[in-house]
Amino acid sequence: MSVIVPGEPQKSHRATEDRLEKLREEAGRTGRVAETGVAIVGGPIPRDAKASSGYYGQPIVKPPVWTWQIGLYLFVGGTAGMSGVIALASLLADQSLDVVRAALGVAFAGALISPALLIWDLGRPTRFLNMLRVFKWRSAMSMGVWTLFLFGGFSGSAFVLVEAWNFLMQSDVPPTALRGIALALVAGTALSGVVLATYTGVLLGATAVPVWSAHHKLLPFHFGSVGLGSAAAVLELFGFRIAALNAIGLTVAAVETGVGGWIEIRRQGVTARAIHDGTPGLLLRTAALLTGPGALILRIVGWVPIAAIGFLIGAIFSRYGWVLAGRTSASDPEETIATQRRGSESVAL
Amino acid sequence: MTSNQAHHNYVAEGRTVGFFTDPTVCIGCKACEVACKEWNEVPEDGLIWTGHSYDNSGSLGGATWRHVKFRETENPVGWTFLSDVCKHCEHAGCLEACPTGAIFRTEVSSVYVQDDVCNGCGYCIVGCPFGVIDRRPQPLPGAGGAFKCTFCYDRQIDGLTPACAKACPTESIQFGPLDELHARADKRVAELHARGVADARIYNPVDTSVGGIHAFFLLLGPPEEFGLPPRPEVPTVYLRGAWLSAAMTSVLALAGACLAFALL
Amino acid sequence: MPGLGTSFGRGGATTAPSDLVNSEAILIMGSNMAENHPVGFQWVIEARERGAHVIHVDPRFSRTSAMATIWAPLRAGSDVLFLGGLINYVLDRGKEFREYVVHYTNASAILPVDVQDSEELGGLFSGWDAKSAKYDPNTWSFQRSPAADRKPPSDATQNPGGHTKESGARAADLADYDRDPTLEHPRCVYQVLKRHFARYTPDMVEQYCGVPKERFLEIAEAYCSASGSEKTGAICYAVGWTQHSTGVQIIRSAAILQLLLGNIGRPGGGILALRGHASIQGSTDIPTLFDILPGYLAMPKFGPDSSTLAAYINRYRDRTGWWSNFDKYIVSLLKAYYGDAATRENDWGFGWLPRVTGDHSHQAYWLDMMDGKVEGLFVMGQNPAVAAPNARLERKALAMLKWLVVRDMVEVETASFWYDSPEVERGELRTEEIGTEVFLLPAAGHAEKDGCFTNTQRLLQWHEKAVDPPGDARSETWFMYHLGTRLKEKAERDPGPRNAGLNALTWDYSVTGVQREPRVEEILQEINGYTGPDRTPVGGFGELKADGSTACGCWIYSGVFPRLGENRAGERHSRSAYGHGWGFAWPADRRVLYNRASARPDGSPWSERKKLVWWDALSREWTGLDTPDFTKTKPPDYQPPHDAEGDAGLAGDKPFIMHPDGVGWIWVPDGLADGPLPTHYEPLESPIANPLYPAQQINPAALKMERPDNQYARSPDPRFPYVMTTYRLTEHHTAGGMSRTLPHLAELQPEFFCEISPELAAERDIESGGWLTIMTMRGIVEARALVTPRMRPLRIDGKTVHQVGVPYHWGSRGLVTGDSANDLLAISEEPNVRIMEAKGLLCDVLPGRRPRGAAALDLWRTHMSHSS
Repeated sequence: MSVIVPGEPQKSHRATEDRLEKLREEAGRTGRVAETGVAIVGGPIPRDAKASSGYYGQPIVKPPVWTWQIGLYLFVGGTAGMSGVIALASLLADQSLDVVRAALGVAFAGALISPALLIWDLGRPTRFLNMLRVFKWRSAMSMGVWTLFLFGGFSGSAFVLVEAWNFLMQSDVPPTALRGIALALVAGTALSGVVLATYTGVLLGATAVPVWSAHHKLLPFHFGSVGLGSAAAVLELFGFRIAALNAIGLTVAAVETGVGGWIEIRRQGVTARAIHDGTPGLLLRTAALLTGPGALILRIVGWVPIAAIGFLIGAIFSRYGWVLAGRTSASDPEETIATQRRGSESVAL
Repeated sequence: MTSNQAHHNYVAEGRTVGFFTDPTVCIGCKACEVACKEWNEVPEDGLIWTGHSYDNSGSLGGATWRHVKFRETENPVGWTFLSDVCKHCEHAGCLEACPTGAIFRTEVSSVYVQDDVCNGCGYCIVGCPFGVIDRRPQPLPGAGGAFKCTFCYDRQIDGLTPACAKACPTESIQFGPLDELHARADKRVAELHARGVADARIYNPVDTSVGGIHAFFLLLGPPEEFGLPPRPEVPTVYLRGAWLSAAMTSVLALAGACLAFALL
Repeated sequence: MPGLGTSFGRGGATTAPSDLVNSEAILIMGSNMAENHPVGFQWVIEARERGAHVIHVDPRFSRTSAMATIWAPLRAGSDVLFLGGLINYVLDRGKEFREYVVHYTNASAILPVDVQDSEELGGLFSGWDAKSAKYDPNTWSFQRSPAADRKPPSDATQNPGGHTKESGARAADLADYDRDPTLEHPRCVYQVLKRHFARYTPDMVEQYCGVPKERFLEIAEAYCSASGSEKTGAICYAVGWTQHSTGVQIIRSAAILQLLLGNIGRPGGGILALRGHASIQGSTDIPTLFDILPGYLAMPKFGPDSSTLAAYINRYRDRTGWWSNFDKYIVSLLKAYYGDAATRENDWGFGWLPRVTGDHSHQAYWLDMMDGKVEGLFVMGQNPAVAAPNARLERKALAMLKWLVVRDMVEVETASFWYDSPEVERGELRTEEIGTEVFLLPAAGHAEKDGCFTNTQRLLQWHEKAVDPPGDARSETWFMYHLGTRLKEKAERDPGPRNAGLNALTWDYSVTGVQREPRVEEILQEINGYTGPDRTPVGGFGELKADGSTACGCWIYSGVFPRLGENRAGERHSRSAYGHGWGFAWPADRRVLYNRASARPDGSPWSERKKLVWWDALSREWTGLDTPDFTKTKPPDYQPPHDAEGDAGLAGDKPFIMHPDGVGWIWVPDGLADGPLPTHYEPLESPIANPLYPAQQINPAALKMERPDNQYARSPDPRFPYVMTTYRLTEHHTAGGMSRTLPHLAELQPEFFCEISPELAAERDIESGGWLTIMTMRGIVEARALVTPRMRPLRIDGKTVHQVGVPYHWGSRGLVTGDSANDLLAISEEPNVRIMEAKGLLCDVLPGRRPRGAAALDLWRTHMSHSS
């Protein structure tokens, strides 16, 4: 049987308080309140507590059944995918092949770990190949599976080829033909990688989970940006203390500061409860600090490795935070109804 | 009007069928729950007393495909029963989400999960705006896979009515061609309005992206009171915006990285 | 059953659930029809959709109430007051169906001066003997103008069981009496009835039933206007009425109401006694009751009235009316039992039948068992350890047996009492000290055996075996047949007088298959009856004779197997609105009983709308939509010659053919142990004194069987302030053996719960979803608390009375377990049918769980010892 939420009246919470605040402000400004007010359970105006909590406070949609492997996969896949982008960027800029090799290494490692995590999380792991029976562009997961497949192929072959190329280069045999193929493969890695790093935002956004669908435009952007920052951070921790990576790190941190601040400000969104309260709230707030102002300041001050480690921790926290927020959000019938009631208005970004 | 007991040829004819569930004649007997479990060999999924009136089934899930809801009211005292089921949406979130192609649409336009293909990825679960489909937990038989109402596809192939409709003693659950059911339902609502039951309405969200549900309901009150979403959306409506965001992010990331390496 | 039997002639539902679609009003009381007869309830819903009033009066707002058009809460045990209020309403406003009442009931009969009503005697009727605590059954007869010729009073030994008809010897008194068709005579039944129910006003109903006056008047208007030539109303009841110390009289109230409104024998009318299980009706037709023989013939009693067959027949045979054929039925039954061994010389073997010497009903012999007087017991398809009242006593009594045989599909609590029961847990019984040898034998399920069910509308339906029972599981037929065979073998070796009956018994069914299963169709053929050495089946009970040439196992079923190969119970092609062609309804496939009453005295239908059976003057026979429950060729204007006997002694306008006077009995002159009219008594435990009769609190003839292990609270009792009622849920089956063991049912209602109102929950500080403990003078149980506005507190006589609802399905075994509600009930006997009072007892409710083990009894004893 699915999760039962005991039919207790919903306790007061910040979203209700914020809504009251908004109503007061609107009343003060315009002299009247356009929308319906808030029913406080236990307040002076008697309301049937049961009615306001739907059917015995039961969830309307189901929470995701994914466990820790998926949170980790979101991180690994994002990092690996964007690592391919860095590989391409550095190859095009004729940088030292070492950066390319390392970036491809990270990409390929991610391409090996990711499927293992995904298969591990399946309800019936032995049937993972069934994912390749169909290609459905309307299913973000199908797209993701094929993207991962392609990414694995590209990153693996690119890695091998670049290693070979490196070996040949060192033996003074300029393999010009190889250069073209290597470029093609690395480009393939980057293009499939950038999809890999952002599609997971689409995956979560295109669901019935209120907090996810409410942020269906934000999540691909946020996951992509954090993925890029993570790839840069990993390479820096492997010893590549180069300006380009630092610049990427600084830019991403600035972007994340903006994103985090924006989420923090939007506290009366109908799905605010899921991303502000409880464990998800803690994780997401910590993540925002680590990937945003934390990383920014540390980089400006010059403590790059610490900034990188902090950023990576923040990246992991963020993924887990969003997954857990999804669970909370799906279990809340009021959020589900509110998201739907107000239609596209409730969609954050 | 065809009754639930009549044989039919809908599968061969490729005719769209549906359920019309009418709580005004439902006695809350749960014969539908039991008939469904017996026919489809769905396991018992929890001996838990909820204290929620007489509803101890909790919610629809991997091992509960028909769920009778009990709603008590005061002033005046009243009790409404409603048998909930998979909606078999016109545009089904679970079907769109499924990456293995396990979920497909049958000749009678029902939504069917092939259990022998499903690998339990769980994406359909978050794809359903009604919270119907779910993964069966251990130690139940079939654990790991996603399950939901099959619309008794195997029975329909042989010209039989789905088990729940067949068992329902008051024909609160009506089975038949969808267009016939719509006509019956409209007539019923008109009758009830004429009798003074003002808040009787049809729950069939045709004006949302779901596009209508093949298992639709007559409700005596707003959908939220029965745990039904007032404006369900099939989550694929979010794909366009999300992919555009992903594309923009991708372009920015590639451009930004290349720029960084080119300049520095 | 005797409620309907004495009122109309036969103790069974007068109609079928499908006929309810023809009703303009349906009163459901003492029943939760939607939950316990869900399939039959579809007809109530259909009636409602056609505009009928569906009225539900019940202590609880149940799933039936949710579908009703009007619901009224009722104090459990005040049903006679409520129904009497409806009768008063009809009489007070002249709403009776006058022509029907004058012609088809005994409303016009005149009572002699010495017959007195309870209103005159402060709660008793004339004839009460305080010493024996019984009524003299001769004191309620009618006035006869030739005062001579009154037959001598028959043996005043009360018939210990009331399921059969009473004495036929006085039938002459019962058929030939003075009448006033204008209903004006001050001592005619109609006027006596008016005076009897004069105090049952709407104010009384409000004050003592808890039904608000406007609601009562709304109900009265809705129901009582469904009367007359164009409209009919039906009443449905079940154990909410029968499980009372006044159960039969409650049903009698309904019968009187229906007779006044002219609803019996008409489409959409009648009384639907909603019987349970698959075949409870069948279990009284071919009885497992101690006081009757198949077809509601009387079990002979020890005494001069049954010393010979002639004396016995004289006692029970009516001179006029259908029971004039009584002798044919008993002789045919004896021929079926004893075959060639039954001859005219030995009274057809009548002497081999056992004689009833006292109260051999379940409650009585169980108390004997508790007192160590019973050696052995067969329990087949029943679970008294959970299902019988005062279950603690029931379980302890099992330990007094020498041997116990339980046949069931699972190990029910009755079979496991010796190691798994609350008594063992509490140390009241110790496994190693119990001497009972328990045999648990596996039983076959219904799909594993051939046979017949007889359901609530008297319909026999044959079902075929689908598979052999697994392993050692066997059907009841197999068990009884082979047990009988072995007993007969033993009797053969020891042919003394004690075994004469066994030796004479015919026991010659053929067996089939590896399991040697008796051919059940042969049994049905014997039940149908046959004649001649070649055993030609008889076509119906009309062919039965008293000269030993016919044999018949159950005369009311006769006609079910009229020709070889024609098993009418197995027919499945309904060809009429009443279902003829699907199964066989007794008697003679008549679907609506007493349907002669659907026509006027002159034979034409009361109206086109309500036609059912009518006289066809051209073909000179009765015809219509149902098989006429009347002699087909007797014209409506037939007048019997003086001293005519049998059916010929009844006129052509007398529909109630089982009665010697052919009319429905508003006043019952004969056949009931507790009064010719119903009158209000409080239940055996009540929160108030009897508002009508301060001197007569309870039914004087009811048996409390009070003893140290079966105690009662006072009325009222400060220790037990709440009124309790027990009931069933759709999801479970009686004592739970067949539902708590099945996962798909167990998960629907996994725990024993108790329903209380929010007001009571506040008063006792009980949380919804938490636990509570219930105590009565008999025991203590714990249950989950379901606080719901569907339980309403009532205003009774100015004070608040709370009612508590308790489903009784749980026991200590199965997938889901719980305490048994029957631990709280007392063993008691309604005087006619010996059913216990399971509704309307007093209890107390406390928050939280009860203590484990023996401490539970300590808490209970402490509670009982409180004085305030």
